[in-house]
Amino acid sequence: MYRLGASVIVAVNKVSLEIKETTFVSIAGPSGSGKTTLLNLIGLNDHPTSGKVFFKNEDTSLLSDRERREIRLRNIGFVFQTFNLLPTLTALENVELPLALAKIPPKPQREKAIQLLEAVGLTGRLQHRPKELSTGEMQRVAIARALANNPFLILADEPTGELDSETGCEITKLLLSLCKKHKTTVVVATHDERVAKASDVKYSMRDGMIMQDVGL
Amino acid sequence: MNIFFSGDVVVVAEGTIVIQAFPVMGGNLPVSAIEKVQQVNGVRTAVPMLVRFSYQVEDVIQLVPTNVSIGIPPGNWSVLVGHTLLKPGGNWPSGNPGKEEVVVGPSLAVQYDLAVSSKVKVENANLTVVGILDTRSALLSRSIILPLELAQRLYYGHTMWINMIVAGPEEEGIQEQVANRIEEEIEGLEALTTHERHEIIEPLLHDVETWTLGLSSVLYLLSMILVTTVAMMNVSERRRDFATLAAIGAPKSAIFRMIITEATLIGLLGGLAGILLGSIAAILIASFYTNIPLSMFFFDLFNIVSPLFMIKILASTVAVSCVAGVIPAIAASRMNISEVLRSEY
Repeated sequence: MYRLGASVIVAVNKVSLEIKETTFVSIAGPSGSGKTTLLNLIGLNDHPTSGKVFFKNEDTSLLSDRERREIRLRNIGFVFQTFNLLPTLTALENVELPLALAKIPPKPQREKAIQLLEAVGLTGRLQHRPKELSTGEMQRVAIARALANNPFLILADEPTGELDSETGCEITKLLLSLCKKHKTTVVVATHDERVAKASDVKYSMRDGMIMQDVGL
Repeated sequence: MNIFFSGDVVVVAEGTIVIQAFPVMGGNLPVSAIEKVQQVNGVRTAVPMLVRFSYQVEDVIQLVPTNVSIGIPPGNWSVLVGHTLLKPGGNWPSGNPGKEEVVVGPSLAVQYDLAVSSKVKVENANLTVVGILDTRSALLSRSIILPLELAQRLYYGHTMWINMIVAGPEEEGIQEQVANRIEEEIEGLEALTTHERHEIIEPLLHDVETWTLGLSSVLYLLSMILVTTVAMMNVSERRRDFATLAAIGAPKSAIFRMIITEATLIGLLGGLAGILLGSIAAILIASFYTNIPLSMFFFDLFNIVSPLFMIKILASTVAVSCVAGVIPAIAASRMNISEVLRSEY
């Protein structure tokens, strides 16, 4: 539940959801159905007004802000629809950022960031700033950044929303293959049918309510 | 600040008594006063002086004096210049009649290209430069020091007038008593002790300092508001960046430090620019009011605006900016991540 001006929005309502390790979960639904709010709750960026979020069987409502931040830093990677790269940093520095926050020493930090950028196919773009990259390349940098601290979970909010169909397809494949390779759990909020099809478990949301899509 | 009565350095030493101390006002004393002062009980020496400020250079009247001519009996130079020496190769004027010799300050020497043996024209007389003072004192730098008789002849055409007597007491601690005796025994003379001289100057300095403090307080307040506004706008434009940083695990303290550092950098750059522009303005104003060429002030910048003053200004600007960054830093570090990420799409 959150406030938008004078009105109170119930963005997520009576949602009970369990996400198993290493699965690729998609949450489909129209705009305003509560997908982003759900991801923010799972990603510990927000507190539920009622109900609880458990992360690795731990009740996150009992955690301090500092502990929640530590979980976000070391266990969760975020991929945003609008990439959310820091515009003043290069691609390499953007990927190094979570490693630096996790206090990884500079040398291994740089090696890891280069390795991740190579894995997403951006070997020649290390020193480019976001405005010098295409949208597809920016999303690749964002995926590399999300994987930097070997997270347990990746939350991707409309990762193909800003991309053309072909690039969106490439990014979906890349996300899938990297997460399989790193054995990472992925939760994707998406409008994109192809992303939903590629997932192990599909959910759909409407008016804040969630239901599993069994493909009937 | 007190260049005229600054103890050891210029014109009058601490502990001496000054009689008719305002040549700047155009006052005069008859030379007969010297003997009267000398005869007062407790007076060891009485050195007459003729001090004349020049407010005009090449028909241009200035608000502040550019040069000062100081006549003093030969052999009494230390009463005037303290421990200040002459540059190598120079001598003090001999005082021999017929030898019209002067010592000039280094700033005048540079401006008019004067060296030992150069001729300098004062009141239509061609005088010979026999020495150049080795000093950084603003007053002495612009001084022409010459034997008293020569100064009297040049400026009055006769030797009847002086405008200052510096009386030295026979021993320390009796300055006040001796000054009182001079005033009691010689009608119409005002004898100023060190304390009284400071009392004359200090209210002026106090007024200047009060105005400066008031003005700088207002400017610092405005700077603080400006830096806060700039930093707030900066935070507002980069809300999504800060929310992203927080989402990927940046601690609030790191975001707080980032904003404070940025505000401090704004202050540092602004302070440096302010010092540069302020120095240029000080030089331009000084040159405008004195008609002394700009180039001379450029070489003498650190005498006009002292390095310590520059450091103080820079430090205070940085401190003010740092404080001004606190509110935007708190705003950035406490923003609601999900709310910002939701609203920024």
